[in-house]
This record gives sequence, C-alpha cells and structure tokens, in this order.
Amino acid sequence: MSRRAVCGIVARELIRFQRQRGRVLASLVRPFVWLIFAGAGFATVFTGAGEIDYRRYMAPGLLGMVVMFGSLLAALSTVTDRDAGVLRMVLVAPIRRSTIALGKTLGATLLGTTQAVMVGTILLSLVRLWPGPAGLLLAFVAIVLSSLALGALGLLLAATIRSIENFAGVMNFVVFPMLFLSGALYPVRRLGPALHALVYLNPLAYGVDLLKHALLAGWTSAGYGGEMPVALDVAGLAAFAVAGLLAAARLLGREEGVTRAAFRERD
Amino acid sequence: MTAAAIEARGLGKDFGSIRALDHLDLEVREGEFFGFLGPNGAGKTTTVHLLATLLRPTRGAARVAGYDVVRDDLQTRRSIGLVFQETTLDRDLTVEENLRFAARLWNLPGRVAAPRIAELLGQFGLLERRRDRVRALSGGMRRALDIARGMLHEPRVLFLDEPTAGLDPRARRSLWELLQRLRAASGLTVFLTTHYVEEAEPCDRVAVLDRGRLAALGTPAELKRAAGVQSLEDVFLARTGHPLAEPSAA
Repeated sequence: MSRRAVCGIVARELIRFQRQRGRVLASLVRPFVWLIFAGAGFATVFTGAGEIDYRRYMAPGLLGMVVMFGSLLAALSTVTDRDAGVLRMVLVAPIRRSTIALGKTLGATLLGTTQAVMVGTILLSLVRLWPGPAGLLLAFVAIVLSSLALGALGLLLAATIRSIENFAGVMNFVVFPMLFLSGALYPVRRLGPALHALVYLNPLAYGVDLLKHALLAGWTSAGYGGEMPVALDVAGLAAFAVAGLLAAARLLGREEGVTRAAFRERD
Repeated sequence: MTAAAIEARGLGKDFGSIRALDHLDLEVREGEFFGFLGPNGAGKTTTVHLLATLLRPTRGAARVAGYDVVRDDLQTRRSIGLVFQETTLDRDLTVEENLRFAARLWNLPGRVAAPRIAELLGQFGLLERRRDRVRALSGGMRRALDIARGMLHEPRVLFLDEPTAGLDPRARRSLWELLQRLRAASGLTVFLTTHYVEEAEPCDRVAVLDRGRLAALGTPAELKRAAGVQSLEDVFLARTGHPLAEPSAA
C-alpha cells in the first residue's frame, strides 16, 4: 500500500473540488433550500409540533443529506475520471487497485466531512440547537463515519455503472430512496414493516440516527431522538464502509470492470 | 546476451468470440526504437495493453524489462512508461499539478520529483506554461505533457500508442523531433505503434501487424528488400494482400 499514492489521489480530489465553484456553492446552499421550503411544508403536517420544532427536528437529517451528496457524489466522480481518461493513468501506475479504492474513498470522506461541518456550523445556530461538547463530538464522529460508508458505497456504484448517463438512474434509484428511508424527514418507526426492514439496508439511516443521538438527545423520550441503539449505528456504518471498500477494490481490479470499461471504445 | 526489453511468446487475446491478437512472438532489444505498424483494429493497442498489464492474456506469456506481465504486474508497471492514444491528463489541474499527481502515484518522493519535473518541463518546452490549466493547452502541448508524464519515473521501456494521432502536421513534426532528441539522449527502449509509414521508417526495426497476426518483422531496409519493393506501404501490401490505408475493422 503506497501512502504517497493515497495522498496524491486525495490531494487531487481536494484541488478539483475547490476549483468547482458551482459544486461548492450548491453543496452549501442545498440544505438551506430544504430547510426553508421542505421545512415550511412538512411543518404543517408534522404531528410532533408540540414536542419539537420541525426545522430543529430536520437538522440531523439535513446534515446527513450534506454528507450523502458530498461523499457519495465525490466517489461517483470516478465515473467522470473514466470518461475523461484520467483513470487510465491511475490504472497504469504501479499501485494496487485497493490503493486506488482507498484513496478515492478517503478523498470522498474528507469532502463530505468538510461540507457537513461547514453547513453544520450555520445550521445549528439557525435552528438554535446546542447539543453540548459531548453531543458535538458524537455528531462529528457520525459525520466522519457516514462519509466513509457513503464514499465507499459511491465508489462501489462507480465501479459498476458504465457511464455518466447512468448518473440520473443513480439519483432516482439510490439517492432519493436512501434519503426518504433514512429518517431524515420523519421518524422511520412509523413506516410499514416492509419499508422499515429496508431502513436496515440503508447506510444513511444509521448515519442520520447517530446524528439524532448526538443532536436531539433531549427529545429521545418524546420519540424524536435516535431510534436505534448507538452501537448498532456505529456497527452498521463500519460494516458498510468495510464491505463497500472491499467490494469496490475487487471490482476495480476486475479486468472486465473498470479496466475494460476504461478502454471499451477501442479494439 | 542480456535480457530483451520486451519478449512475447505465443501472446494472444480474445474478447468473447473476437480474436484481437492471435499469436505473437516478438523480441525487442534493450535500447531499440521499435515500430509496430498496422491499420486500425489490427491489434496494436491490445498488444500494448497486454504488455502494460492492463489486460490479461488469453494465451501465451510476455516479459517486459525482465518481468512477467501477469505474475509481476506491479514491477512491470514500475518499469514502463505508457502514453495512451488519447490524453489521460486532468484538464482541471495545471501542467505542474498533473506531473506532481503522477509523481505521487509512482511513489517518487518530492525531493526526487521536483528537479525531475523541472527538467522535463524544460525539455518539453512547457516551462512557461507550468501554471496553466491543461484545458488551456494546444493539442500538441497536451501530447508533449502526456509523454513527459510517461517519462517522469525514468522507465526502461516507453510505450507510445499512436502518439501523433489527432495532431496537425506541424505539431506532429515538432513532437517527432522531440522524440528523436529524447531517445538519442536517454538510450531508452521505445515501442511505438502507428498506422503512418513515415513514422515507422526511422525505426530500428518494424513489426507489421495485420488482423491480430504478425505479417513481417525486420529493419525497414530488410523488409523492403525481402518484398522487392520501395516503401513500407508496399511491404504491407505485399505481405497482407491489401493496402494499409484501407480501413479494415475499426
């Protein structure tokens, strides 16, 4: 495992991100658009209004959303690398495929975490949520672990989808279901048994739940805090991160996977 | 005799039912400027990808710089430079950032990479453009940077896959002069694929590839003499029964 190569891949992700002003702006503004518009709408049908202000209830979910867009989409940039040809250069370097997977995932984790911390600073003061030092620390852990798990998952998706056109499919069949089954917008315990079972297959659900433990601890007894044990959240995120990384490294190494796809237009 | 720079024995690759490379026996000597001539779809790129460990052979074996391309894939990749047909640069990074990114991928420490990058930028005429994004460079300059990047880690064998494809005649000529100069200075083994006879002409030896098979192998003079013709174009015609320029598969 070449540490220098991992650092190089991470550094490139950071340089690219800060050069894409539109992407930075979108990632910082998007959660506040949800807070204002979705927040206003959902607040009118929210039945827990006597217990907690809906916008405050949304805060952990919105942070989870920032992590998801930040790190899942960053890892998906592997598809863009493939289309631009950069992936070929990386594949011909004397490094293992697992090193590429690790570098890409760590880059995505760093981007997801940075964006979530930036948004979190503003968001928590806007909704006047003061969780205390222990809560903030747990929230940070939740953000890092979720970024890692979602980054690994994004890389796995990138290793399996063939081209950038499939981005839209990923958005509709991965990103939105993941968001709606995460507890970001409403407690998942009210979902029917079939949908509730799917929650356990959703890495974002563990992340949002851990964020609720961190930020909404005062509302747990009212039913608006975390709904699963903290240990389960941590184990779930860790399992997704490890499984995603292993699977992505395997798929990246497969000749018929990225290598073939990277050269698919030729003889 | 010292180990050959490249050695292929019965090397072949199928994609499903398509036989991209049939059966290749080849030896490229250390320091040789070797041309691999054939039309599009002849299997040139497949051969390069097999030798560069990017594809696994269906049949046969190959050694590059003394390393088995299947068993010692990392050492093989460490010993070669590969310039792909299309640019593999990150257009959003600057010239210098692209080289630094490559230096890290090839595990070169900063104190080794920095002077080497400065030297290459000078050699390739990119010193003044080093802080420009690749996006802003001309096609010829991008190609030069691609080659500089391929030579950054001082490979023993440099693969150039159709390096002048898509360039205008002037850029092609200046790139060609640059390659000749570099090779004269470094004594590097170069494996060049091309479908232009004028690029195969100055090579030490040329292999003629057609439909996944080796049709002829020798110095340009030998090939022309053996076929009793005046040009490599006619050598191709004499050996394969059809002209080089005729688009075959791709």
